[in-house]
Amino acid sequence: MSGYEACAEGALAAGCGFLGYTPIQPSFGIVRRFITRCAETGATFVQMEDEISSLAAVLGAVWTGRKALTVTSGQGFAQMMEHIGLGVMLETPCVIVNVMHDGASEGIPSMPGGGDVMQARWGSHGDYEIIALAPNSPQEMFDLTVEAFSLSERYRTPVVILFDPVLGRMKDSVNIPEAAKIRVEKRKYYKGPKDGYLPYKYDEKDLIPSMVDISQGYRFHVTGLTHDEKGYPVMNDECQEWNVHRLVNKIRLFADKIVRMEEKYLEEADVAVVSYGVVSRDALTAVEAARKEGIKAGYFRLQTVWPFPEKRIAEIAAGIKRFVVPEINFGQISLEVERCSRGRAGVDAVYHAAREVGKPGSILKAIQKTNK
Amino acid sequence: MDKILEALSKGIEKSGIGRKRVCLVTDILYDPEVLETLKIDLFHTSRGRTIPFATGMKLANPKLKPVVIMGDMATLGGNHFVHACRRNMDLLVICANHFVYRRVEGESASGDYDTVSYSPYLLFENPLNIPHIARSCGSVYTARWTALHTDELTRSISHGLKKKGLSVIDVISPPAELLDFYYRHSEIRNGEDTIHTGIEEEKKIIVGEFLERERPTFIESYNRQLEEVLGDQFVKIEV
Repeated sequence: MSGYEACAEGALAAGCGFLGYTPIQPSFGIVRRFITRCAETGATFVQMEDEISSLAAVLGAVWTGRKALTVTSGQGFAQMMEHIGLGVMLETPCVIVNVMHDGASEGIPSMPGGGDVMQARWGSHGDYEIIALAPNSPQEMFDLTVEAFSLSERYRTPVVILFDPVLGRMKDSVNIPEAAKIRVEKRKYYKGPKDGYLPYKYDEKDLIPSMVDISQGYRFHVTGLTHDEKGYPVMNDECQEWNVHRLVNKIRLFADKIVRMEEKYLEEADVAVVSYGVVSRDALTAVEAARKEGIKAGYFRLQTVWPFPEKRIAEIAAGIKRFVVPEINFGQISLEVERCSRGRAGVDAVYHAAREVGKPGSILKAIQKTNK
Repeated sequence: MDKILEALSKGIEKSGIGRKRVCLVTDILYDPEVLETLKIDLFHTSRGRTIPFATGMKLANPKLKPVVIMGDMATLGGNHFVHACRRNMDLLVICANHFVYRRVEGESASGDYDTVSYSPYLLFENPLNIPHIARSCGSVYTARWTALHTDELTRSISHGLKKKGLSVIDVISPPAELLDFYYRHSEIRNGEDTIHTGIEEEKKIIVGEFLERERPTFIESYNRQLEEVLGDQFVKIEV
């Protein structure tokens, strides 16, 4: 099946029961698969008037107890930024799929892009942390979509999946395990007396508060404003720190558990190629070609773009001469690699143009500079 | 207590639909201690985006009757209002109408903490004719009252909660010191054609129940269409 289809299947396998979307290409392959399966799965879908409302509807749906998904691309993702912040603040688990096309603005919708990775991290205003995953094959589209739902439930946060139309259209066999073998974290529900529920009273161990569903008689109040454990707005510094620092820490302090990466040939490497998404396929080809030429090249792939694997990049930096960071942009993740390597290794950002996807040439050339 | 919230509380009671089925989604900053007296689940969300939030809730749990209280829809979120009417989404939308951010010194009717006027030169833009937009876009019940028409407002809220589809109640809710002024300058004309319900200077504000009709709700249309295409395979959304 295609990457788009695998993504929709992953969402359904994870128990997603609601899709809010606004048609925008190149993301429609996911919508089509999801809604053609609604009879069997009992999932509900709605085509909203814009992406602001698509994500708002998703957030509303989640509070009824469902798992929910929205899919978009480019401009649609830009429209969702405000509600990513609301999702973070209300601690509403949900999954946002962004099919990155070449931009900025309207850009070239049919061409793969990589320009939204920083937007996924910093796009909404204010201070927050986010989780973003970047699959690189149809199989991973399935696996990481399931994982995205699992992480969103575990950390009570929106999770972003970033990929591009080349991966979306890519066809491959996808192994879908039996339903009983698919593990998704369960939502953490409050189990105490009805009149004792405090929506943002959290557990010191994991920093996560318990949820309840609407209409169960808990009579709770939640707000996008800075709030106390009752969910009441409190406009002072102390509450801002109590509220927002925990939102940051509940992901930052658990980053080691969240981060997923793939490594190859990094022992005794002189140069490490750091990549993600569709570009990582060309990166691996380039690394293997360079190794045949006798260059000690290693391969590092981000499956989790955010949180960024800071510690691992710092460790790798200590043992190599330079990083090569190919992206379909003019330098985004390369800046993170530079920050984390703290000057221990050089960083070459390589612009891997959309037309070069499938051709490892530019990456190989950059690797070859190591021995010069 | 805010007049709209007071009417909402009485309206829920009068409707008999049960407080468990009702939840409030609003972008207006009410005092949560006051909201708590409603004894329902409460969501204070992003400004102007209350209708889509409530739409998601309704579709994911069709037994709910979400109530939206929104500020002046003339600006943020007007598009969501238009499309909720078009879909005939099963919600009750109450517009706390301040005539486009027209606030003056003193507590505003919504209980907003912000007491500074956004319009130091007073108002020169035209307010929207909300009942007319609601009607032309597809809502099934439309009324307008001032915040001091408490009994009428309570009745309309009760009716809107029981009515299937999108009900819209435009509530003229200026700052407290002007409530009486607008009440006195209103005229009840039930059944008035909404083409005549625009708010104009030097003219009476027309209030009343303007529209009552039946149209298939979004969920009814969804069920009908998917059943037609998918046949017995499709499991209907139970309301």
